[in-house]
Amino acid sequence: MKNVITKTLVASAISTAMLAGAAQAAVTMVSWGGGYSASQQKAYIDTYSSGEVNLISYNGGLGEVRAQVESGNVVWDIVDVLPSQARTGCDEGLFEELDRSIFLPAPDGTPMDEDTMVDVPNDCVVPQIWWSYVPFHKADTFSGEQPSTIQDFFDVEKFPGKRGIHTWANAIVEMALYADGVAIPDIYDVLSTQEGQDRAFAKLDTIKDHVVFWSSGAKPLDLINSGEVSMSLAYNGRIGGAVLNDGADYVTVWDGQVLEEEWLVLMNGAPNRAAALHFLVHASSSQAQADQAKWINYGPMRLAALPIMEAGEPWFNTGVNILEHMPNTEEHMKGGILADPDWWADNGQAVNDRYAAWMAQ
Amino acid sequence: MSDTRTLDAKGQLLTNDGVPLKESLRKSLRRTKIRSFLLLLAPLLFLLIMFVGPIGSLLSRSVDDMEINRVLPETFAQYELWEDKSILPSEEMFAAVVNDIRATHKLEDSEGNNIGKNLLGKAGTRMTYEYSGWRSLLLKTVKSATKVNKRSKEEVKPYTWEAPYKEKMIKRDKRWGKVEFWQSLGAMKDPYTIGYYLNAVDLRFDANKNVIQKPEHLKIYKTIWMRTLQVSLMVTIFCLILAYPVSYLLATLPMRTSNLLMICVLMPFWTSLLVRIVAWMIMLQQNGVVNDTLVGILPCFEGMVNLPFFGEKNIDLCFSDEDRIPMMYNFTGTIIVMTQVLLPFMILPIYSVMRGIPPSYMKAAQNLGATPTRAFVRVYMPQSIPGIGAGCILVFIVAIGYYITPELVGGKDGLMIGNFVAREMQKTLNWGLAAAMGAILLAAVLILYWAYDRLIGIDNLKMG
Repeated sequence: MKNVITKTLVASAISTAMLAGAAQAAVTMVSWGGGYSASQQKAYIDTYSSGEVNLISYNGGLGEVRAQVESGNVVWDIVDVLPSQARTGCDEGLFEELDRSIFLPAPDGTPMDEDTMVDVPNDCVVPQIWWSYVPFHKADTFSGEQPSTIQDFFDVEKFPGKRGIHTWANAIVEMALYADGVAIPDIYDVLSTQEGQDRAFAKLDTIKDHVVFWSSGAKPLDLINSGEVSMSLAYNGRIGGAVLNDGADYVTVWDGQVLEEEWLVLMNGAPNRAAALHFLVHASSSQAQADQAKWINYGPMRLAALPIMEAGEPWFNTGVNILEHMPNTEEHMKGGILADPDWWADNGQAVNDRYAAWMAQ
Repeated sequence: MSDTRTLDAKGQLLTNDGVPLKESLRKSLRRTKIRSFLLLLAPLLFLLIMFVGPIGSLLSRSVDDMEINRVLPETFAQYELWEDKSILPSEEMFAAVVNDIRATHKLEDSEGNNIGKNLLGKAGTRMTYEYSGWRSLLLKTVKSATKVNKRSKEEVKPYTWEAPYKEKMIKRDKRWGKVEFWQSLGAMKDPYTIGYYLNAVDLRFDANKNVIQKPEHLKIYKTIWMRTLQVSLMVTIFCLILAYPVSYLLATLPMRTSNLLMICVLMPFWTSLLVRIVAWMIMLQQNGVVNDTLVGILPCFEGMVNLPFFGEKNIDLCFSDEDRIPMMYNFTGTIIVMTQVLLPFMILPIYSVMRGIPPSYMKAAQNLGATPTRAFVRVYMPQSIPGIGAGCILVFIVAIGYYITPELVGGKDGLMIGNFVAREMQKTLNWGLAAAMGAILLAAVLILYWAYDRLIGIDNLKMG
């Protein structure tokens, strides 16, 4: 008995020491899990030969980031963050401001910061992807006329069945206004007024009794598959993953999609700072960004990645064309709303409170 | 030893060393006390460092407004001088904002690193909780009021902006001309605030720091608090109703059968919470096992029938697809799943108390002429009350702070306060509000404990 205990103790001591040793060397990157993390693993980490990178998952938000930085016990190096968090985190000093000159320019020599679809918001962020909130349904759900606009999502008479929407206000209020007839460039001006917000919530009221809420990215697919809802909003990569990898017969309605930025940031006080920076340079290169699109249909943030993909079609790993599944192609951008992270950083709390109150009614 | 030697002049008992016995006893008692205290020191320190400390520091955030006062001291001083708060403040206050921004912007920590920029960033986040838009307004103004060399990151003088500032600021961003922004400063001007607590119960400060109701469409927390209470109470009651007979069986059946039954109770208890929740989802969702079965097996009858008294009636007894009962992603789902998850917390304490009730009591009562029901109600049940109390208090306290189950199955009307604490911690980063909600939860539990002690007595609580 005693022998067994000693052996166990020795074994666990050794494994702890090994873990500690590995943690010293390997960069810890934190991302969202699922097919998205898998694409980062394949495109960035498997192609990286200068060191080890461990990819772990988190549930979003800056809560853990701030706790680590404030307690002085930083264990993460790189975090994959949403646009408004990229801004508040940088403002609050949770992320490090990076020397922009170390990053690789596009093949034609354009510096990285000028090679993006929107202005780089601050010096903390490293380009990642574009993703979007977008409605989808099964191909055989409706007979006859098919949903093609965001109005159809809000029209339960014409297209009966429940609607799956998420438990926070982002994107859904923009969609509501767009469906109510507000032109895309005016959406945030309208939303900034009390009347505009009332108008968005009045539009939401029209589907209130037909709504099923989801809060994790895999859920909308379950809701659609089980028939619980007839149409649902989802992250476009989740829909694409099911279509491209598993042959699901989903139809995406791109009109009214709300596009969000995604950035990589370096934690302030990252334990493996130098190695992490080196990896960030690799992960943000045009080639790595294009490579990611072999594994998931999120749009690369760097413009220079698009021609690489175009020239390489069929680019997706299963041998199909990928560009038509991307949220940020010219065709899909026609009815696309670019989310305004600054507006959300300013108004997110109030609008989300109101949304929560609306949900609870 | 003679009696005279063990008594001193006052007639007190002495020990062999000539010290009064009382004194010597007290000394040895004190020694034991110190020794036992030293033995306790390690766990006590552990408790302090791992439990009291962190909780205390988190709770202190619920009243702490020091940081914003560090950033805008002059502005808040000017705020006190601002007389008519319904019209825009004077130039002095505009200048105070610019001065505060410039002073903060230069702040360095003890190692000479600039922390001012981050302080301003945090201030922006803090101010937005009071009034939407502060963040971008403040940070925009920081850019205009200060000037930084891009390369050396050092401040460049002279500033482009010079006094007077009022017009320039309003020109830079017209929101400076909105009195609502200025009024919202009132809620932040004191280093300690109860603002977060007010927020947690749908109240807020107005410009003069009077407590007022939040606008109707932003009221959310009162509903959630009531619902949290309602869910916890309902779950406790359902658990009690379900657990009591099970515990009784467990305690009275022969060992072999009761062991088997015990395994049936413990197996789910040992199964991962998430697995159990997902199993419920499969069972209860719209197209789940339960609804499918109902649609499939219930007899279907539809048509005209001639009823006595009612005459010709069209009767639809079909349980069709439209009749599927929504049992998941709503209030019902939360109640069902939480009841199942928390059931063992009720069964185990009641069972262990029931085990201690000698069966002979019931027999004696019946021998003396009581019917089985009467014997049960008058003799058995009162003896099981300590177990009921323990079970109820345990289930209620665990339920009131529940997070993961409502998050997964709560949908739109099954969310509890725990979900909102998590939202403030992770998503909106309003830790003050999260801490205030946590403090209210903690207080609720303590009050419950106190009430239980007064009503039933904590000594009567038996876990086994």
